[in-house]
This record gives sequence, C-alpha cells and structure tokens, in this order.
Amino acid sequence: MTTGDSSNAGGTEAGQVVVHLDGVRKEYGESTALDGVSLDIRAGEAVAVMGPSGCGKSTLLNMVAGLDRPTSGRVVVNGEDLASMSETGLALFRRRRIGMIFQFFNLLDDLPALDNVALAAQLTGVSVAQARRRALELLDELGIADRRNVYPAALSGGERQRVSVARALMNRPALLLADEPTGALDSHAGEQVMDLLIDLNQIGQTLLIVTHDQRLATRCASRLVEVADGRVVRQRSLERTA
Amino acid sequence: MSAVWQVSRAAVRRRRLQTFVIALVVLTSTVALVVALGLLDAASAPFDRTFDQQRGAQLTATFDPAKVTDAQLAQAAARPGVAAVAGPFAQAVLTAPSNTAVQAPGVDAPPPGPITVVGRADPAGPVDRVDLWEGRWVERPGEIVLMRPPGEHYGPNEAVGSRLLLPGAPSLTVVGFASTLSQSAGAWVSPDQMPALHPTASQVLYRFTGSGTADQVRAGLATVTAGLPQGALLGSLSYLTVKQDMTATANAYVPFLLAFGVLGLVVAVLIVANVVSGAVVSGYRHIGVLKSLGFTPNQVVAVYLVMVLAPGVVGAVLGTVLGDLAAQPLLHTVFSGFDYGYFTATLSPWVDVLTLLGMPAVIVLAALVPALRAHRLSAARAISAGSAPRAGRGLRVQRWFGGTRLPRAVSLGLGLPFARPGRSALTLTTLVLGVTTVTLASGLSSSVAAYIEAGNDHVQSVSYVGDAEIGERAPTLADAAIEAKLRSLPGTAQVTAMAPVELHMVGSSQIVRGWFMRGDSAGMSTAMLKGRWASGPGEVVVASSFTAKHGLTVGDHLTLQLAGREQGVTIVGETVTGDADQVEAPWETLTALVPDPGTTRYVNQYWVRLAPGTNVDAYDAALAAAVPGLYPTAHGGGTDSLTVTIVGSTTVLTLLLAAVAALGVFNTVVLNARERRRDLGMLKSIGMTPRQVTLMMVTSMAALGVLGGLLGVPIGLAAHRLVVPAMVAAVGNALPPSMMNVWHAPALALLLLAGVAIAVLGALLPARSAARLTIAEVLRSE
Repeated sequence: MTTGDSSNAGGTEAGQVVVHLDGVRKEYGESTALDGVSLDIRAGEAVAVMGPSGCGKSTLLNMVAGLDRPTSGRVVVNGEDLASMSETGLALFRRRRIGMIFQFFNLLDDLPALDNVALAAQLTGVSVAQARRRALELLDELGIADRRNVYPAALSGGERQRVSVARALMNRPALLLADEPTGALDSHAGEQVMDLLIDLNQIGQTLLIVTHDQRLATRCASRLVEVADGRVVRQRSLERTA
Repeated sequence: MSAVWQVSRAAVRRRRLQTFVIALVVLTSTVALVVALGLLDAASAPFDRTFDQQRGAQLTATFDPAKVTDAQLAQAAARPGVAAVAGPFAQAVLTAPSNTAVQAPGVDAPPPGPITVVGRADPAGPVDRVDLWEGRWVERPGEIVLMRPPGEHYGPNEAVGSRLLLPGAPSLTVVGFASTLSQSAGAWVSPDQMPALHPTASQVLYRFTGSGTADQVRAGLATVTAGLPQGALLGSLSYLTVKQDMTATANAYVPFLLAFGVLGLVVAVLIVANVVSGAVVSGYRHIGVLKSLGFTPNQVVAVYLVMVLAPGVVGAVLGTVLGDLAAQPLLHTVFSGFDYGYFTATLSPWVDVLTLLGMPAVIVLAALVPALRAHRLSAARAISAGSAPRAGRGLRVQRWFGGTRLPRAVSLGLGLPFARPGRSALTLTTLVLGVTTVTLASGLSSSVAAYIEAGNDHVQSVSYVGDAEIGERAPTLADAAIEAKLRSLPGTAQVTAMAPVELHMVGSSQIVRGWFMRGDSAGMSTAMLKGRWASGPGEVVVASSFTAKHGLTVGDHLTLQLAGREQGVTIVGETVTGDADQVEAPWETLTALVPDPGTTRYVNQYWVRLAPGTNVDAYDAALAAAVPGLYPTAHGGGTDSLTVTIVGSTTVLTLLLAAVAALGVFNTVVLNARERRRDLGMLKSIGMTPRQVTLMMVTSMAALGVLGGLLGVPIGLAAHRLVVPAMVAAVGNALPPSMMNVWHAPALALLLLAGVAIAVLGALLPARSAARLTIAEVLRSE
C-alpha cells in the first residue's frame, strides 16, 4: 500500500504535535458535550477515542476537523489556531489539512465514485484531468478502480467506505479523522477498512479514530483515549494486535 | 471545470424532479409575464412611435374665420410654449353620399354623413405630416385625397381615379389616399379648391413644448386662444383623446393581464423559494459533506444558486419564446379593429430582454434566503442533523390531532404541516394565490359576459339591407313595407328599424354617429348606468365613454348638425356599453334633422326580438325568403371576439397558474416524503397500508387547500373589484353594481373547494409514490 506520499503528509515531521487541544469546552444550550478536554496528538500517531454514546467523542472530532467551534479553549491543528479562523478560513484549512471518513460515508449521491474522490483535489485548484488521474490511482490501490463510474447508491457499504477513504486521502492530509469508520459495515468489510487504516498509519499517516469498537481500536491505534461525560478520563498506549 | 460547477451540474442532472419543477414553474410564469408586458407595451408604444414620426398635432383647433383673422391666429401661435404650428387651413364639412350600406356583414363601406375637408397644399410641414400611402397629393382644384387607414379602401369602387360626388360641391377626382394619426381631416383638397366648398372654419395644428398630460394640453389651448375674440374657438381635439380612442381596446386587456402577470410572478417567486428552501433543508447532509470537504460557505451558496438557476434560466428562455408565440395572436386580435390599421402592434424587444434578465434575477432573489441558510449552517450540525426535522416541532398539535376521533391516517396527515411551518406557509400562500386566480378569473369572465350581453340580450335577429354597390341584392320593398312585412312574420315580437347617420356635433371637430330608432325602440333599451332610455323627440342616450370623452353628463344639451340643419338634444340617459362617438335617439330626432327621411334609405338594418320559443335560424330563413334583399343574421347567443379573447386568455392563464400552484404542492409533498422516509417505513412496518399512506400525505395538503380556499376567495373577490372596473374604465366606460355582483352562494362554495382541488391534484402523485416505498428501500437509504 502506497497511497501516494502519506508519510510526511501535510508537511508534518514525525513526532511534531499535529493536534493540540487545550481546555476545550463545548456547550449546546444547557448540556455540555465537552468539558475542558486537553489532548496532544503527534505526527505519525494513531489515536483511538472511545467512550459510551453521548460522551462527546464525535464533538471532539468535529472540533479537530474545524466543523464546529468550541465554546471555550483552544484547538490548534498543524500549528493553526482554529478559533481565529473565519468560516472560509476553516473551509480552506479542511481542504488542505484534513481528511475525513464517516460512519455513513457521506458521499455525494449525485457524483460517481471517481468524481467523489477527485472533487477534493479539484477544490484545491488541481485540474479535472489531474484530479481524476490521482483519484483513479487511489481507487486502484484500494481495489475498487473497476467501480469508478458507479454512483454511491449502487455501491456496497464496504465499497462506499473505500471511496470515502480515497477521498479523504486525495489531498495528502496532515490528519485523517475517522468517525466510526466500520460502524456501518459487515465484519469482512470492517476488517478490510481496518487493514487500510493500519497500512496508512504505517506509512506515516496521522490518524484520529472515534469508535465504539474495541477491536478497531486495539488493531489500528497506538494510543487509546477514553472519554466520559465530556472529559478525557484515561489515556494509554496500545500494542497493536494482529 | 470548477468543483462548484461540477457539483451543481451533477445535482441538476441527477435531481430531475426538482430540476423539472423549477423549470416548469419559471416557464409558466414567464409566459404570463411576457404576455402581460407585451400587451402593456403594445397599448401605448406603437401609437407614440407613429405619432412622433408624423409629428402629430397635439392639439387640433378650429376657429371661426368670421371672428378671428389668420394674422391673429399666427400671432397667438408665436407665444412661448408653442413648439410648432401648422395652418390656418380652411375647413369645410361636406356630407357624403348616403346610398351605401353601413356595417353590413364583412363590408367596410364609407359611412354616409359629414366629411371634414381641409385645404392643404402639402402633406408635410412642421405639424401633422400626413402619410400619403397611395396615389399623390392634390395639386389643383377638382382633386381630393381621402383619409383612410393604410391599405384600406371602403368598398370595391373606391380607388385612385374614381370620382366623388358630394352635395353642394363640384365633382372631385380621388388622386390619393392618406392617413394621419392626428385625425385632423377626413379628406384634403388644394387650398384653391376651398372657396368652392364654402369653408366654415379655420383649422390650426399645434405642438407644445410640454404636452404629456391633459392639463398641459389644456394649458397649451389656453395659451393659443388667449386674447382672441369671444366665440372665435369653435372646437378642439387633444391627441390624448385620439390616443385613448385608439388604444382603448388594448388598454382593456392590460389590467387583467397585469393582475395575472403579477399573480404569476408572485406564485413563481414563492414556489422557487419553496423549492430552493426545500432543496437546502433536505440537502443538509449534502451541505455538511460539501463543507467537510472544504467547500467555503460562498461556494456552498454558489452550488445551490446554480442548482436552481440552471433550470430557471432554461424555463425563462423557453417561457419567453412561448410567451412571444402566445402574445402575437393576442396582439393581432386586440389591434385588429378599424383604427389600428395606422400601426402594426408587435412585441417590443425590451419585453424579451426584461423578462430574460428579470426572471433569473427573481430566481436568484428567491433562492438567496434559503441559500444563505446553507451559508450559515454549521457543517457538524448539517451532517449530524441529516434530513430529519428538528425534534419537538409541531408535536403538541400532532398530539392533539392524535387524540381526536379522526382516522389515524387523517389525524397524522393534519399534523404534518406543523412539522415544517415555513414550508407549509409557503405552500399555503401558493394555494391562496391559486384560489385567488381562479376566483378572479371566474368573476372576470362573468362580468365580461354580462357587460357584452348588456347590449345584446334583447334582440335575436338582425337583418341588413342589401347594397347593390357592393354586389348585394337591394330590396325592392320600401322601408315601411319591409317593417310591415317583418311585423307580419310568425315569431316576431318586436321590430326596430335602425338608421345609422354620421353627424356633426357643434363645438367638436369629430364626427359622431347617430343611431336613430323607429318602432319598438323601448325594447332596445340596453343596461343603463344613469338616467333613462330616450323616448321622445330631442332626447338621446349615450354611452358612459361618450360622456367621459366629451365632458358631458346626463341632463346636458348638445347640438347635432346634418346637411346644414341643426337640432338641439338632451342627454337623458347613460348606457353601460357603447361607443364614445355614438348617440342613440328616437326616430323623431332624425325627422327634425331631415324633414322627410323616407326619401333616402337611412334605415340599413332591422332588429327583431322574437317571441319565446321561436327558432332563430328558421325565422331568418323565412325572412330571407319573404323579403329578398334583406340579409338576416342571428344576433346574440354567440360571443364577440373581445369576450372570446378575454375569457379565453383568462382561462389559459388561470389553468397555467393553477397548474403552477399544484406544482408547488407537488414539490412540497415530494420534499415531505423524502424527509419522512424513515417515518413512512416505520408506519408501514407497523401495518399502515399504502392507501392509508396516500390518504395521510394527501390530507396534509388538503388541509392547506381548505385554508387556501378560505383566504383566497375573499382576496379574489377584492381583486375582481379592482381589476374589472379598471378594465372597463380603460375603454372609457363604467359598470353598474349589478355587473359586479356576479357571485352566488353555490359558485362561492365551489370556489372554496378550488384550493382543495389544487392541493389534492398536486399531492396525489407524490403521495402514491411515497405509499409505494418499500421498507427495505428506506432502510437501505439510511
């Protein structure tokens, strides 16, 4: 698995802090989703965030992706303080620095697989032809090049998630975020996605995975962050299992 | 290809239903708008254009040469405010031969009566450049140029070289035909010819520095008559009066077409807003994905604008083309009257340009508000919210409906509109406008029919007297014998002999047509607006357009002149319908002007009211056989072109707008069903039948339809009160209250149901489609 130059992705050096959360708090009305979370993730790490439903895992992911803003605290990703950015600035940040994989894939139903993947590069100003070339390479490496002209509705769950992974990797992101990436897949497709994430991390891609799946965490992550009631309650290093 | 364009294009191509609905809504609204604007433009522009080209006379004044000299007139015309002047020209009023038929079916024959003849050496000049469209201008005595609309001759014998015999004048050879929008003369001769015609007035034509309003023209008249001897001014004619005459029919169409145009436009805006806002709401996940990929908020707005604008522009272009095609025959119908030979009404390019630029602008404006919601929407919320409505919205109302004894499918349906109050409000407004349109249209048709019928419902058969000059057989029986024969025919109830005679109205430079009635003239009484029907000598009735044009009212006196004889008459009544240059009077008034009208065949038609139960066709056949030379035709019962055009175009526009409103409902149900796929799947999984699902979805819109009816009918009634009087006023007439009160309880009840009908029509198809949704399909989409 090469998936391009994922090592040194996004221009980060190994060991450098890619994500820095400092006392991040997020409130929705009267409920508190995150309550003073502080966390550092270094380049090349694969961090899994686990916790019960409603503990704030996805909110944490949204903060790091710049999809949502904290009520208080700092979120610094790849040296950029997200709090100081405008909506447009956040969009530019996401397209350059972040790759996202969702539980329900979130592919654009109106575009075939190839264009779903190529779109991410086109946003950065890459020509259509060049973007499609790279998208095809990625789909090929993920084993679904023959499905490039198929619309998402006609793809299986595993295929959709692989398209989603390819799209996330298009711009060689500094950080790959995965929100329950195997949650909607059967065990076989789930295993394939796990292998993919391991391969990506092994070539230097920094990963932040939010999951309920203990097996996913222990297979793919080098560190486990446990969250409860909006707080980080425990962190520990993991030995990857086969 | 930019990412924005690629995503927008893909959405347009893949979301066919949404694309189709937007294109269709914009197309229908554009058609209505083009037709309305086209008529509006045509009602004024061609006249103004031609009038300016001819440097038309903004004021035509006639003076008594016995009281004022040419030098005095020239001195008065040199005052500030007068931009150009032509004349004085000697003017005489001659009487045309009366032995030709008037208003025989399909024939344009010269009306008998007075002709205003002016001595002019040159058709050009600083004012009133006469358009000589056939032959040449008069060069010497013995020649005459006749004023005719371009390309029109009155009868087959009228041609260059024919001779004209006018009583009291030498024989004149027709050397040309000319037209003028200024209506300054009926014919022209050389100035040297005038002494032989015994001129009675001096005509002066003016243009002023300011003449846009009636007040300005009046001020101009005051300027050029100031200081002249009393009684020097015999009469005057403002070009605004001429313009009103010529554009009246077209103006009648403008109020209702504008009303429909505005309704169409508002409906289009509402539906576009609804469609786009629905696209945004149902596209929350789409927006979230775009933002998570790195689309900036402005790029997301651009995607949604292009998504709507692309089909909108296609709809606007096609709508403009179809609107052009629809407007042309309508313009032809509206401008096909006698006066419109002076100019050809075509659709101005600005109408197309304005529509092509305006409709997309409207779409952008309609789309902007919901698109800006997409701009503000946080990506995290968009992705997590998906397409489900916010929890808790409308729950209380839905719970209340659930507690009623209504079938569950109905109570669930009644609660649905409360889940999306914004969308429901837009759909309701569309339905209200749909019902308003239907109400206005039905009232308009009823009033127009009543208006047209006002002058036609008392006569069933009209017989025209044949004219040998145009190849018809002339009757051998004398006038009185024909009337007697008519009265003796089985089926005859009443007979009125009608004599149309052109008259000069003292104090006016225009000709009026007198309709003199003999026999059962009381039966001819049309709908009266004021006063009573004329019954005795010296009494006339006129149309409301006549009193408006000439500044007269019931009780006023005027003097009619024919062949040198004068008769003072009193206006005793004002009719609803009728011409602005027409008076109706009993036979005695004609005998006062012409001592023995029996020597000339003045009567050219006989109007017959039939006994109840008489077959009109059989009666006419018997009459034609009994009186050779009489050409009977069935009268009334049919519809004239104005009615057909107004009712026809009203029907078409109503159907268009009702269809557009139904499309709005269609779109709402599609969006609701799409958003509630999970709910629908769940309801079906617990045993709701497809029929119940259909009932639930249709009920949700039918409820809005009921409200739409309750609100739309009163608004439609109010619109009818505004539009119909404006239409009638445009042709210079007024309507009695009886013609405005065209509503009856059963009709109103039906109109109330119009909202439900539109709603059910729009909801049925997508509701059935939602009912067919398989549970597995729903789960797969989740």
